[in-house]
Amino acid sequence: MLAKGFSRSASEVLALSPPIYGDVKLQLGITDLGPQPRPNTEAVVPYADAKRNQLRAMSLWWLDQMVLQDFPLHERMTWFWHGHWATSYTKVDEPLVMFDHIERLRKHSLGNFTTMCQELVTDAALMMWLDGQLNTAKSPNENFARELLELFTLGVNRYSESDVKEVARVLSGWKVEKHSGVVARNLRQSYLNPTTVLGTTALFDAVSLARFLSQQPSSQRFIAERLWFRFVSSSVALPSGSGIESGFAGREILQAMKNMLMSKEFADPAHAMVKSPLEWMVGVLRALRITPSTYVQPDELLKSLTVMGQRHFFPPNVGGWASDEAWLTAASAQLRIRTAQKLCSYGDLSPVTAVAQASRLDALADWLGVAQWSKRTREVLNGAITDPKRLVALSLVCPEYVVNS
Amino acid sequence: MTTMTRRTFIHWAGAGAVAAHTVSIADVVRAAKVNPPSAGSQILVVVTLYGGNDGLNTVIPYNDAVYHAMRGTMAYREDQVFLLGESLGLNNSMAGFKTFWDNKQLAIVRGVGYPNPDRSHFSSMAIWQTASRTPSRTGWLGRWLETQPADPFRAIGLGSTLPPLLVGERRSGTALPLSGFRLPTGALATDVSRLAMTTPEDNVLKAAAARSIRDLFTVAGTVTPVLKNDAPPAADLPTAVGGNAGGDSNLSAQLNAVAKLIAVGAPTRVWSVSLGGFDTHANEQGVQSRLLGALSTSITTFMSQMRSLGRQKDVTVLVYSEFGRRVRANASDGTDHGTSGPVFLIGERINGGFFGEQPSLNQLKDDDLPVTVDFRSVYASILEDVLATSSRDILNGWTTKLPLVAPAG
Repeated sequence: MLAKGFSRSASEVLALSPPIYGDVKLQLGITDLGPQPRPNTEAVVPYADAKRNQLRAMSLWWLDQMVLQDFPLHERMTWFWHGHWATSYTKVDEPLVMFDHIERLRKHSLGNFTTMCQELVTDAALMMWLDGQLNTAKSPNENFARELLELFTLGVNRYSESDVKEVARVLSGWKVEKHSGVVARNLRQSYLNPTTVLGTTALFDAVSLARFLSQQPSSQRFIAERLWFRFVSSSVALPSGSGIESGFAGREILQAMKNMLMSKEFADPAHAMVKSPLEWMVGVLRALRITPSTYVQPDELLKSLTVMGQRHFFPPNVGGWASDEAWLTAASAQLRIRTAQKLCSYGDLSPVTAVAQASRLDALADWLGVAQWSKRTREVLNGAITDPKRLVALSLVCPEYVVNS
Repeated sequence: MTTMTRRTFIHWAGAGAVAAHTVSIADVVRAAKVNPPSAGSQILVVVTLYGGNDGLNTVIPYNDAVYHAMRGTMAYREDQVFLLGESLGLNNSMAGFKTFWDNKQLAIVRGVGYPNPDRSHFSSMAIWQTASRTPSRTGWLGRWLETQPADPFRAIGLGSTLPPLLVGERRSGTALPLSGFRLPTGALATDVSRLAMTTPEDNVLKAAAARSIRDLFTVAGTVTPVLKNDAPPAADLPTAVGGNAGGDSNLSAQLNAVAKLIAVGAPTRVWSVSLGGFDTHANEQGVQSRLLGALSTSITTFMSQMRSLGRQKDVTVLVYSEFGRRVRANASDGTDHGTSGPVFLIGERINGGFFGEQPSLNQLKDDDLPVTVDFRSVYASILEDVLATSSRDILNGWTTKLPLVAPAG
């Protein structure tokens, strides 16, 4: 019934249109900080401060968008693609370049996948993350080539080792200016002859290759699989003939998502998914009407996400974040309890306080998008029915809320 | 310093159960009674090196002309390695491992991998951790856990997420964050502990969510005070050890926590720790020797702590990575994803020396090393000879093992 992740009903979600953002970089002060100053010089301290402040500003801004946007699917999909292209600030280490990377994902988050691939294949952050700038015709570095095939476009085992080597040739010669994220191709280090990829020989360059890969039938299947994995089930494989896959025939992401949100599998409670830490926190902040950047301790929110293992801009590795059982540890339970307790003493509990005690459990279920409380949870919640703060905190950490079904 | 004995450890676990009185953890208490840890209980510490460690620059064929031709400036010469015999040398950042080797406490299994190697980090790590070629939801030690009495202490992974190798069908290992746990207090705590009871209405994931709360209450009361203890002394090490590691590493913090918990008699049989950063596509030498140095130093300290606790005969350390790297260096002074690599086993019960054949550099396929030992042979040896469990069911029929571990006693 409810869009899994950032809660909203499916028809509501699809009726809305994407938000229009102003000049966010200007507003947040995300700028080119120039080359890194030499160690032990006076310039180091203001440089490091500026970096930290920019990263903080853009982290809170994105969290704000996830929480506040009327059209949550747009940011929900930007978040999905962030886990898909899984580029981390730890290696990029430039706020501007990282921000531009996410902006590119945001621009196409519900758009055309081929266009997205064509822009991402020369994205500075992605290149820095996967050593693209070190890959030359004379001595290839296969990191970017392999992940482009395996993780971004086709899926594992849908290409050969020779394809990896040929794709590395096509992608050779690109250079990045680290602080600005400006990319350019050095033709002298580039492989400029025809290459053979997936049996097709052509004079590929990065952009035509990205187009070619994204148009493969295996790419249609792969992206449908990834959407299924993140939104429907991480344990059951995508069935063949799914509407998600057919909806992706034109590589239109919105169409695939529409088909998914309207599918019977999406509504089927047998397909349960654990809310990942960021999804859980965004859901809680939305419910309690808390704006992250104006919350009394905004840095606590970012820190909690780090400790729970899911901080935006910091995927753990190129495969993106874990799913389901990996988030159900004693450690994550502890953080959910602590966070829920804190946020409930700050947030808006009126959906519960405004109704009579006898109606509170139903009101809670509607408000939080829980289909049904178990007998266990109902008993616990009833015991706290007169204490709205405790009542809501308990409902946010109970199995029925932590697991979508 | 909080003094705890093995008995109080169990008692504290029980105390957690009492505080959370409606929580159904009678099974935990029963497990501790039925199967109490004894001084001779064998303990396995699994060290996962994430990213694909370059085996060829760890156990180094320093005399091999093909090695020098293909590695160029990245190759190590004879005078830059610790000699191990058979024309192989150990990376010179691993002084501690060399001492284990000289004391016959280090087994090096050469050329370990699986048929038709997968060069994807994720597929390959999944194969290593699940011991299955086809996608599997359970890890090899998660399946071992299914053969054991239910006990959230039985297998513990350091970190806030659970590594796939500890995930089982009905029960999984416990993730223990380095910072320890802090329990909620007051009325909320009582209520939350009641949410930890699973009900027939729960699906698999909701039951796991309930169990995660239960484990929090069970483990937190016991473990948190222990993590504040002083680490057991590493008495027999000269103070200079550690100087070459380039400062503290997270691995040493993880192993320190393990040592503290072993010191108070944790009934844990399997510990999982990890060190990341081995995906050295560029500027490999400095990065890799720093990491290998941290690995060597932290395990050396850990084993010394075990000696000061008198548990040195009970502990076996396994070190592995998802794959080795391509023999030919790339232009960025790094190496791309490859195939087989060495696996290390450390401990007083280990039969020190080489196992398996060194992959020949004259038989490369697409610049990649052949696989000479199936990784399941290592797992089977550990399951049978360290954890005293039949490997057949856990490894899907695989029973071949290597004489890596001497009989107990």
